[in-house]
Amino acid sequence: MNAKVNTAQITLIAGIAWLFAAVPNGRTQQNGIQHASDFTSTEYYEPPHQQQIKSIMSGAEALPQPGGLLIIKQLKLETFNLDGKLELTVIAPECIYDTLNGVANSAGHLQVRTGDGKIRTDGDGFLWRQSEQKLNISNNVCTVIENGATITIKP
Amino acid sequence: MKRHSLVVIAVLGGLMAHAQTNTPGAPPAPRAPMVIHADSADFDLSGYQLIYHRQVRVDDTQMKLTCEQLVADLPPAGGLPNHIVAETNVVIDFTDTKGQTNHATGDKAVYTYQEQGGVTNVTVTLTGDPQPQVVNAQGLQAGDVIIWNRENTNSHIRFIGNYHMVSYQKPGEVMTDTNLPVTVVKTNIPPGTVENTNTNMR
Repeated sequence: MNAKVNTAQITLIAGIAWLFAAVPNGRTQQNGIQHASDFTSTEYYEPPHQQQIKSIMSGAEALPQPGGLLIIKQLKLETFNLDGKLELTVIAPECIYDTLNGVANSAGHLQVRTGDGKIRTDGDGFLWRQSEQKLNISNNVCTVIENGATITIKP
Repeated sequence: MKRHSLVVIAVLGGLMAHAQTNTPGAPPAPRAPMVIHADSADFDLSGYQLIYHRQVRVDDTQMKLTCEQLVADLPPAGGLPNHIVAETNVVIDFTDTKGQTNHATGDKAVYTYQEQGGVTNVTVTLTGDPQPQVVNAQGLQAGDVIIWNRENTNSHIRFIGNYHMVSYQKPGEVMTDTNLPVTVVKTNIPPGTVENTNTNMR
């Protein structure tokens, strides 16, 4: 993401990009054909902030599939700003990530929350296209915006 | 009648994006959460847009808005949505401070929010075919374009083009059927502008 994205709502979406971008670099590398259980993958900011955690992704299982697909179960992603403050939490019971095309999808539920909990989106079924940076939620979308939803700044 | 119409638009503007029009230095009034429901949504990260599709419904304590598509633009520099467009069968229902139900309709509602020097300005424009209108128990007001502008010290609404107003009979006065428009106050005024002001509407 080149431009800075500053609203809590965009931060919420951006976290999904982080999530799937982080997968190939984590301990669940598809090329390694590894089956990971109760895994956690931590991503750090680029220098000079390489000591700061950018995101923590965890899951109950990561199952590499033919064709560069990766099934992730009980997915949870947390993203943090440079001050270590929680920006976003993404939860999905299961999703399929196409590591070759940078596309993730699921027929299941998706929950996205800003760190302060003031903006929340839920839905059933989603498609994330990493190259276009677009998230489609297919059904039953519900966004709650609390009074005083805060603005966050995320590089 | 005029006051009620103002309330309709005021609520639309106030609730679509949680913006508060404040006197500088005055804290915004607390609000209940806004909830947006839709069949589906597209969040365009690169385009700074949140797009809700089909059976879109916006609920909060003061109003209910429904439409078929809602597009919220997020400012790249940060902040809450500053431009929101509700399209196709836009319906806004709300209860005003007197407890009266109001009903506004239009094909399109555009909300804009600007802030300069700590002063906010909110504009909501209703357009489209069929002609946008505002209805309550007292009657109906309509115009080709309905613009509500909320500034720091006052609020005003303009009906532009083919303005007309229909006043309904109050219950018990003459007619027993209160659903019938019995008094046409103004109809088919040539295209122009009718402007009302209300400084109490925030």
